[in-house]
Amino acid sequence: MEQLMKKTKEKVDSAELFRVKSKTVPVNFEVDRLKSVDISDYEGQALRIINKGKIGFSSSSGGRDPYSIIEKAIAISEFGVKASFDFPAEIKLNDENKLNIYDSTIKDKSVTEMIKIGEEIIERIKDFNKNLRCDVTILKHNNKIEYLNSRGADFSYNKTFFSYSMMIQKTEEKDFLMIESSIGSGRDKLDSKELTDGLLEKLRWGENIVNLKSKKMPVIFTPNAAMVLFLPIISGLNGNSVLKKISSLTDKKEEKLWGDFLSLYSDGTIDFALGSAPLDDEGIKMRKLPLIEDGIVKNFYYDLQTAGMAGEKSTGNGIRHGIQSVPAPGISNLILKEGNMPFSDMVKDIKEGIIVDQVLGLGQGNVISGAFSNNVQLGFKIKNGKIAGRIKDVMIAGNAIEELKNIIALGDRAKWVGGKYKFPHIYLKSLSVSAKK
Amino acid sequence: MKEILKNALTNVSKADYVEIRLEKKATTSIKFQGKKLEKINSSQEIGGNVRALVKGGWSFITFNRCDELKKKVEQAINVAALIGKSKSELVEVPPVTEVVKRKLDRDFRQVKLKEKKELMENYNNIVLNYSPKIQSTNIVYADKFSTIYFANSEGTYIRQEKPFLAASITAVAREGDNIQMANEALGTTKGFKGIEDISLKAEKAASRAVSLLKAKSVEGGEYTVVLDQTLGGVFIHEAFGHLSEADFLYEDNRMRNIMKLGTKFGFKKLNVIDDGSIPNFLGSAKYDDEGVRTKKNYLIRNGVLVGRLHSRETAKKMNETPTGNARALNYRFKPIVRMTNTYIDNGKIPFNELISGIKKGIYAKKFYGGNTTFEMFTFSAGEGFMIRDGKIAEPVKDVVLSGNLFTVLNNITAVGDDLKMIEGAGGCGKNGQAPLPVSFGSPHLRIKKVVVGGK
Repeated sequence: MEQLMKKTKEKVDSAELFRVKSKTVPVNFEVDRLKSVDISDYEGQALRIINKGKIGFSSSSGGRDPYSIIEKAIAISEFGVKASFDFPAEIKLNDENKLNIYDSTIKDKSVTEMIKIGEEIIERIKDFNKNLRCDVTILKHNNKIEYLNSRGADFSYNKTFFSYSMMIQKTEEKDFLMIESSIGSGRDKLDSKELTDGLLEKLRWGENIVNLKSKKMPVIFTPNAAMVLFLPIISGLNGNSVLKKISSLTDKKEEKLWGDFLSLYSDGTIDFALGSAPLDDEGIKMRKLPLIEDGIVKNFYYDLQTAGMAGEKSTGNGIRHGIQSVPAPGISNLILKEGNMPFSDMVKDIKEGIIVDQVLGLGQGNVISGAFSNNVQLGFKIKNGKIAGRIKDVMIAGNAIEELKNIIALGDRAKWVGGKYKFPHIYLKSLSVSAKK
Repeated sequence: MKEILKNALTNVSKADYVEIRLEKKATTSIKFQGKKLEKINSSQEIGGNVRALVKGGWSFITFNRCDELKKKVEQAINVAALIGKSKSELVEVPPVTEVVKRKLDRDFRQVKLKEKKELMENYNNIVLNYSPKIQSTNIVYADKFSTIYFANSEGTYIRQEKPFLAASITAVAREGDNIQMANEALGTTKGFKGIEDISLKAEKAASRAVSLLKAKSVEGGEYTVVLDQTLGGVFIHEAFGHLSEADFLYEDNRMRNIMKLGTKFGFKKLNVIDDGSIPNFLGSAKYDDEGVRTKKNYLIRNGVLVGRLHSRETAKKMNETPTGNARALNYRFKPIVRMTNTYIDNGKIPFNELISGIKKGIYAKKFYGGNTTFEMFTFSAGEGFMIRDGKIAEPVKDVVLSGNLFTVLNNITAVGDDLKMIEGAGGCGKNGQAPLPVSFGSPHLRIKKVVVGGK
């Protein structure tokens, strides 16, 4: 790596080398049975340079000539974007606020142990109802990130992640009920009971299919479904959309758009969360960045280049989506502050409404304008304060920026979703719901 | 290469089946957003995998260091042996040795980066200069040339070249807080010529984004809907096609029962086909990623379910013939059952006849995206119009269609006579393998009682 940097430095103004080495081992169960074990070793490197003030980028994986990316990056810099930043100078990772993202017991976990976890999960579901189909994946992942730039910055860190995910399917006479759930953490402390208990509860709620009439009604989004409302918001807060003025939130900084209880953070400093790291993918310290606080738009999130162009500072949100991508503004972990209403009280509070737990078509449609429109893949009807059964052929639609103004309450217990997002239940006063006649 | 792979596959008698797949690829991508060139990259990747089957248990090992293949084969066999407890089942296919090369109308690997960039810049300018209401753009160019080396323990050796090239043009229009987008895209395996003059697509994207500013949101409810060829194609791919992928059925008796061949499955004039052997379409290849020859497969004939898509394992387990539909996104993924080029065959009804007689309905065109979970599907239209008294009326926006596959297949009331295959820039996603190049198509379709989301 040093050698490659040395050779690059001889030719260009400044340069940055980012390298990933990872190992992923999923153990897959299909239709209740152990089906396959995969072992995926990956390594790749990306070189970003600033040559005569312009950015060049090239990446490679495998291959015999690691130096060929230097010439490619230089060739590309000829047409490259004007650099609005320079790479960070020397970085010191100090020990005082040490972030925990590595657990060696995950790395050492044997395939046999992972098989056992999967078998236990399936057994528990089968005990409840032997006709359910279970697909389970137990996955361990560890990676090493190495970073080096021509201004002397040099760091590396290791990270682990462990997850249990499962899909349960109940098939009856052209009615398929599919429930998906997963838990994940950087620490080997997952409780498979948490996974199965939640699933079994939803199965019980969903035993009967009930009818619903199209109208506006109160809706509870479970933590699972909260991204329906927040995907448009984080798209709108992306520094790049703001810079291009395609975000509906462009001129709204410091404006109070929502109720006091709405506070949203991009937080890369949480121990063992999937999106945490001491530094982002271009060497800027990750932090807890308030995006919305007390209903006020506080910050947009930036990487170095976008921040430079906007006349702002990087917020430590320079994220690479794979080795082939240059850093771009991205969310570390998305955290919505919890409220004070228990989920059970929300249900009791509703005369007629629905609970949305899984949707189809997330991110479909004109997200940047705030719009969402989704099929409710898994949802339940509430009638007179009680869960009455499962709903089918139902769609929800609205504009997230507007709908979030109608929050009655947020749940008192936030839940991690996918190891990277943490949401409480969200109780909306009214939302447009369309059902098949 | 042939010798290296063959050598690595000697002495594998402990396994029932082993395959090695190596891939070498080079990609270029260019992106304009607004006036700025946002990204211009080139990357190269070499990697491979070994997949082994022992007593019904699979292992799959991927890597970037392609040396010591023999050792990797051994590791794969050992891992598979750890979990295999039943019987390995793979349908027999004849071993082949073949090199499949591709001839391009113009080889994009020889086109200078400068030319690619200037071409995209030109499309970008067409959109930007279309109207002062155009706020931004998103112009993406991507090319990829892969060479895939495949060998298995049954003596097959195949080298296949897979070119892919795509251009996607998105226009973003804005008026106050009202922001609208429209996209036109093109994907091809045939070479650079296909994207050399798509100025018309750039204009179309721009004009549609601007006209969407004036469109009213559609009123939610149940409508008779006419789908254009793109949405018809998306529908058959998303809603029906995924259900005919046998990997979800073969070990699930209840699902098998529902998808029993011979079941009446919809409108009697409905014919659905998946064909990976059409030359040079996005989903085409002479051999799939298990070395099985691709072919034309009828899925629905005259409204009756007659076939489905298979890998070697699912074909054997369901006692059906192989179809050549095991595909992998790249060397980091194992082959799974996927569609190739999927379409609804032509009917006889001209478009005018299709819409006449609809008192109040929706004409839905283009698409933003689609998704499905077996019986339920949803997809959003890129453009929509009301149909009033048998005529196309005012434009509407935010048209999201949703429904139950079985119901909708039965609710198709007319199949048009204007089949068109769509080759887009995106692709299909399944089990984390996306975007896999596919094409799809359909004539115009009339469907009654479709739920449309809206305010």
